Amino acid sequence: MAAPTSTSLARACTHCLRSRAPQLSRQSSQHLPSISNNRTFSVLHRPPPNYPGHVPLKLPERLFLAAGSAIMSFLDPRRGDLIALLGETTAQPYFIYRLRDTMLKHPTGRRILRDRPRITSQSLSLPYLRSLPSNTIGATYVSWLDREGVSPDTRSEVRYIDDAECAYVMQRYRECHDFYHAITGLPIVREGEIALKVFEYANTGLPMTGLSAFSTFTVKKEERDRLLSVYFPWAIRNGWKAESLLNVYWEEVLETDVQEMRDRLGIEVPPDLRKTRAEIRRKKREERGGKVKTVTASAPAATASDTTVETARVETEAEREEREQLEIERKAMEILEQADKM
Amino acid sequence: MQRSLLHLPIKRSAWAIRTSNVARIAAVRSFASEASPNPEIYDIVVVGGGPVGLTLAASLGAARATSHLKIALIEGMNLASIRDWNPTPDYFANRIVSLIPSTVKLLKETGVWKHIKQERVQSYDGMQVWDGMTDARVEFDWNKLLGGREEGIDTTIAHMVENIHLSHGLLQRLEELAVKPTMIDKTKVEKIEYGQMTEDVDMRDWPIVTLSNGQKLGARLLIGADGGNSPVRTFAGIESRGWDYDRHSMVATFKIEDDSAFPKFAYQRFLPSGPVAILPLPGNFANLAWSTTPEKVAHLKSLAPEDFVAMVNAAFRLSYTDIDYLHNLKSGVVEETKWRESVTKYPDPPTIPVRITEVLEGTRASFPLKMKHADRYIGERIALVGDAAHTIHPMAGQGLNAGVGDVYSLVKSIADGISHGQDIGSSFTLEPYQSERYLPNNALLGFVDKLHTLYGFESGPLVPLRSMGVEIINRDWFGLKRFLMSQAAKS
Amino acid sequence: MSGRALRVGAPLSHSYRHIALRKLSRRSTISNAVFQQWVSRDARHNSTSAYQGMGGSPGSPNGGGGVDPVEVSHFNALASSWWDAQGPSRLLHLMNPMRIDFAKHCLSMGIPGEGTRAAGEGEGTGKEGKGLSRGLTVLDVGCGGGIFSESIARLPNTSKVIGLDPSEQVLGVARAHAKKDPTLAGKLQYVNSSIDEYTPDQQFDLITLFEVVEHVPYPAAFLQTCMRHVRPGGWIVLSTIARTWSSWMTTKLIAEDLLRIVPQGTHDWQKYINEPEMRSFFEKQPGWGSQGMLSMGCLYVPGLGWRAIKGSEDYGNYFFGVRRDL
Repeated sequence: MAAPTSTSLARACTHCLRSRAPQLSRQSSQHLPSISNNRTFSVLHRPPPNYPGHVPLKLPERLFLAAGSAIMSFLDPRRGDLIALLGETTAQPYFIYRLRDTMLKHPTGRRILRDRPRITSQSLSLPYLRSLPSNTIGATYVSWLDREGVSPDTRSEVRYIDDAECAYVMQRYRECHDFYHAITGLPIVREGEIALKVFEYANTGLPMTGLSAFSTFTVKKEERDRLLSVYFPWAIRNGWKAESLLNVYWEEVLETDVQEMRDRLGIEVPPDLRKTRAEIRRKKREERGGKVKTVTASAPAATASDTTVETARVETEAEREEREQLEIERKAMEILEQADKM
Repeated sequence: MQRSLLHLPIKRSAWAIRTSNVARIAAVRSFASEASPNPEIYDIVVVGGGPVGLTLAASLGAARATSHLKIALIEGMNLASIRDWNPTPDYFANRIVSLIPSTVKLLKETGVWKHIKQERVQSYDGMQVWDGMTDARVEFDWNKLLGGREEGIDTTIAHMVENIHLSHGLLQRLEELAVKPTMIDKTKVEKIEYGQMTEDVDMRDWPIVTLSNGQKLGARLLIGADGGNSPVRTFAGIESRGWDYDRHSMVATFKIEDDSAFPKFAYQRFLPSGPVAILPLPGNFANLAWSTTPEKVAHLKSLAPEDFVAMVNAAFRLSYTDIDYLHNLKSGVVEETKWRESVTKYPDPPTIPVRITEVLEGTRASFPLKMKHADRYIGERIALVGDAAHTIHPMAGQGLNAGVGDVYSLVKSIADGISHGQDIGSSFTLEPYQSERYLPNNALLGFVDKLHTLYGFESGPLVPLRSMGVEIINRDWFGLKRFLMSQAAKS
Repeated sequence: MSGRALRVGAPLSHSYRHIALRKLSRRSTISNAVFQQWVSRDARHNSTSAYQGMGGSPGSPNGGGGVDPVEVSHFNALASSWWDAQGPSRLLHLMNPMRIDFAKHCLSMGIPGEGTRAAGEGEGTGKEGKGLSRGLTVLDVGCGGGIFSESIARLPNTSKVIGLDPSEQVLGVARAHAKKDPTLAGKLQYVNSSIDEYTPDQQFDLITLFEVVEHVPYPAAFLQTCMRHVRPGGWIVLSTIARTWSSWMTTKLIAEDLLRIVPQGTHDWQKYINEPEMRSFFEKQPGWGSQGMLSMGCLYVPGLGWRAIKGSEDYGNYFFGVRRDL
């Protein structure tokens, strides 16, 4: 089953979590990395950092950054760095501590906090993950990385969380994000990303994930309707009742079957978004007699579970825009037709 | 901090409570026809030889107006062990009380304080009280508040004394009295019933106490200083209302790190499961009072000494989440707390207590916490004092102080009755005692109970509100802090 | 407390007198001249001057103050609740410590066998009556249930107390209650008699007349009878209520006519004696008052109880003590 997928959409979603250019290589860092000295705001009278790379913020600064990053990332959802900034500036003072406490209350979460493992291309052997059976978490995870052409090292560093341990929690949340895709089976398209963010909000309580739900307004109506009627209810229900995903020692469950892990965590598989989208697109294509050309830049089959085997397609930026334009025109025609009938 | 809930070793089942009707029917028979001997008549019979009962006997004996009274004191336990108490400087008992200045004043007036070995008393001028969830803190520190100014205020907040030490001092004082009360120890109260009427006397409203040794005592006034489950209260048919907190208080005595660089403070941290307190003792000793759930107390008692020590240190340093988690560990608390303390920010002494280093063997003990208040403190020929009248949560350290306040007030009422020729057993004579003590005690019980409830919340709107309140108090706005501190000293 | 007194105190003259007290706030504006002087009333009844009526008069066959049978039956009705300190007699119980204090105060100024001391000198030290190696003897006239008799008998310096009351029923209550305290046996006796008929074999150091004179028909004769039984240097101590506008309001108008908590006519307001009248009576008695005559007004303050208030003797209840010259 070949379904065209928008490359840029996918990339935009990826950017929600990854800055475009990784600023620091984290080759040797098992603790949080050192610094950024190219910030634009003043470092005068700033208290000493609580951990390497920490930038202590005063309350007005924090509010300014939070508001600015919220507005900017809403306007341009591809600015992953801004979303990360929004995540950090809104997580304090309360939410990140609560999330940390959630981990402290759980034996595994506690162990993670004690070990502070980092997910990097060093700590995870990608070739080994590729060798795992496709129904395992490790294989699912690596397939996402491969499809997106990114490595685990491309995540921005936490700087604005004041407590070192909480900064690690934020880092961990960020680094494990792709595992959440794997476990929920939600694809890295914008719609899936939003659904996952809502799921994360219900699961972690981090304000940024909740704020991301506002980007529902920026997607197409048909997607929005689907989100509101299907994916949000699923996300809230499952995020709430499932065990905290922060308490999963992903490094230790790479060989575990994805479905088994879902059962363990109490997550239902959401309706297969990729399939739904593909189905819709196929119908549309048929309607228009295959007018839309798609380049099928193939990616390995991504398996959310044994039962869902599918192919992701990637289209170029220009093609996507063309297709969307056509879709808008088609919609306009539909509306006119409806009006005529009335 | 009153830790000793008086437990008279009286089995409830041994109690034959007879209503006055029954007694009146029985009263048709004369005393002569009874197989048992006639009761010996006492002006006052005190049931219970705990600190409150002994203070009562000592106060009655020391006050001129009441010193002539014929008094008997009944205690189930062996008082000889208290009389012969011979402490060593390297050991402190786990049951200690905090005596506020007004209590010490009374003990001085009654000549008890001179029998208290001052080298085993630790007074403190400051308290550090903080919220385990928000860290909102009140510092009660007279020296800081006065800023070095001398205002003629006694800056002592309280004196920590071992229970047995206080009882020992009280017994010594009783020995000196011209008219010594009859001390009947190792003896249980078997029965309390009303007396009978003969041609000459009508003792149908006199409580007659039958002891396990067969002795019978007639009481013009029977005073129950017999603890929370007061048999005297039961006899008098006085209801006591309240509830169990489902909390136990864990006590222990520790050796601590050298704290000579710091002032002696009392420390109390309010955790949602209950407050944990470290109270100063002389030298490098300190005492623990940790109120928490029975399960957690059981866990604390089961821990190896070094894990227990780590646990207590953690209780003043780590987050409640961590403390709660640590209660799940059967061992390895030392390592776990080491890690957690390395990643947790907490203040340095004297804002928090110095580290404890060792728990004295055999000092870990616990008892259940209750809130109970008797409907009345008095009846015809009946008075209740201390825990028999009111059982309070120990967090404020006011249990014994309230009991001593009762004693002071009751002795005043009795003395007043004597000087006006009243029957000291009549409830009319005792009325001033009840009206003087009931409302203040009720307010104290209510306040402490509300604190317990307020600090029981882990989250929700009351958590920031209580912290705001604490901030207001701590900044001494409206002179609130000063007011609270001077009230606490008076109580 | 006040509400309770009002409710349960219905049949008790003492109680509503005390209620009256609470209502008192202002000196009577009615001129005393409007009312008969108690002495002249007495004289009218006795057809002779009160001062001379002691030897017997038509109005009082026994030559004394007489006993009003209505009053006796009235107090009989109260007998059962007499000792219930929470009951109708509560105000009486509350007043008792003040009676003791006032009597002690008087005795502290001097007792038979010694001269007059400054008031209060020996008070509160437990030395009252120290001069009496035999102990103090007391006659409590109109003792009722024995509230005062018992308490004065318990004081360590008292050797003998006779409680006198014309009501056998009330004395039954007093005797029954005294049996509850073994220490009273041998010290306290109750005698069912009026003062007129009472013939003791000795005089007393202290004769007390608490809330009595307002209940006797011929107070002057009554007092003079009592005076005969006082040992030289001994005291008469009494308490009563002044005849004022406010006491009329509370005891007659409110209690009897408006609230009807007592039968109309229970009080003879005109029997009430004002403190200056009492004082002038004793001043005219030869051999009395030169070594001690004092009075103390008191008010019932709800919530606080009885309080001695200087000057309040002109408004309502007052204590009066007078010493027989040595």
